Amino acid sequence: MTRTSVKVVVAGGFGTGKTTMVGSVSEIPPLTTEEVLTEASVGVDDLAGVERKTSTTVALDFGRITINADMVLYLFGTPGQDRFWFMWDELAQGAVGAVVLVDTRRLHSSFAAIDYFERRDIPFVAAVNMFYGQCVYDEVEIRAALKLKRAVPLVWCDARDRASAKAALVGLVQHALSQLPAPV
Amino acid sequence: MTDDVWYGDDSEDAGRLVPLYVLVNGRTTPRNTGLDLATQVIALPADTFTLEPEYTRILDRCGDWISIAEIAAYSDRPLTVTKVLVDILLDHRYLAVGQPAQQTIGDRLLLETLLEGLQRL
Repeated sequence: MTRTSVKVVVAGGFGTGKTTMVGSVSEIPPLTTEEVLTEASVGVDDLAGVERKTSTTVALDFGRITINADMVLYLFGTPGQDRFWFMWDELAQGAVGAVVLVDTRRLHSSFAAIDYFERRDIPFVAAVNMFYGQCVYDEVEIRAALKLKRAVPLVWCDARDRASAKAALVGLVQHALSQLPAPV
Repeated sequence: MTDDVWYGDDSEDAGRLVPLYVLVNGRTTPRNTGLDLATQVIALPADTFTLEPEYTRILDRCGDWISIAEIAAYSDRPLTVTKVLVDILLDHRYLAVGQPAQQTIGDRLLLETLLEGLQRL
């Protein structure tokens, strides 16, 4: 007997709907786990008033989807603060790919995530979150603004909607499959 | 009289009775480097009588396959600590380990299974 774990990273800037998306497709209420930081944050985190505090924590939200009796998909939202890159490495390692959520009002907040997965050749889709209603930009404009490579799919989604979040995941896996070398 | 403050039974203020690094004998990384937070484990039949409560509490959650991230979240312990505790339990064959995500990259059959599963949802 064995059990296979599959990982998908849900990334994007602060407030782009990562936790919402994890929650809308997960079969369990999203869980939060923490990583303890010590020296890494000294001089970055403002510890004024909490000088006794010798460590700080990075919260990580995740959910799960049972695919079949042998396979479970875990969805991990990246920590809100971009500086916790060491956590991204742990999350991205071995991941099928990433859904990078994009908020068209703050495109720049997703640049770092796009750059991260592009540099590491990790398959990803850009998912424009329609949380705030109809988007005023078209696909061409958004692709240009994000400097997305042609091969990277762009999907429209509402992170609150289960079917929509699911469609983004399906798009990602199809893209990951298309990136594999052709079978002989 | 010193400055010692008695916090009574309020462990919230007093902090942990046992520092986390003691629980894991000062180990900071698992020996089994293939372990990642999505790796799933399951308890094996074993005599747990001599184990410390921290370990039996983990085993109690592992009656069915469960990921390291879930164990950490449910037991309210940092991920790194949980990973090391799980690693020690694996070493001593209290737990069995599933296939970690790292071994699944580029596996066409796996991706196809995943795709079918997602489409069925």
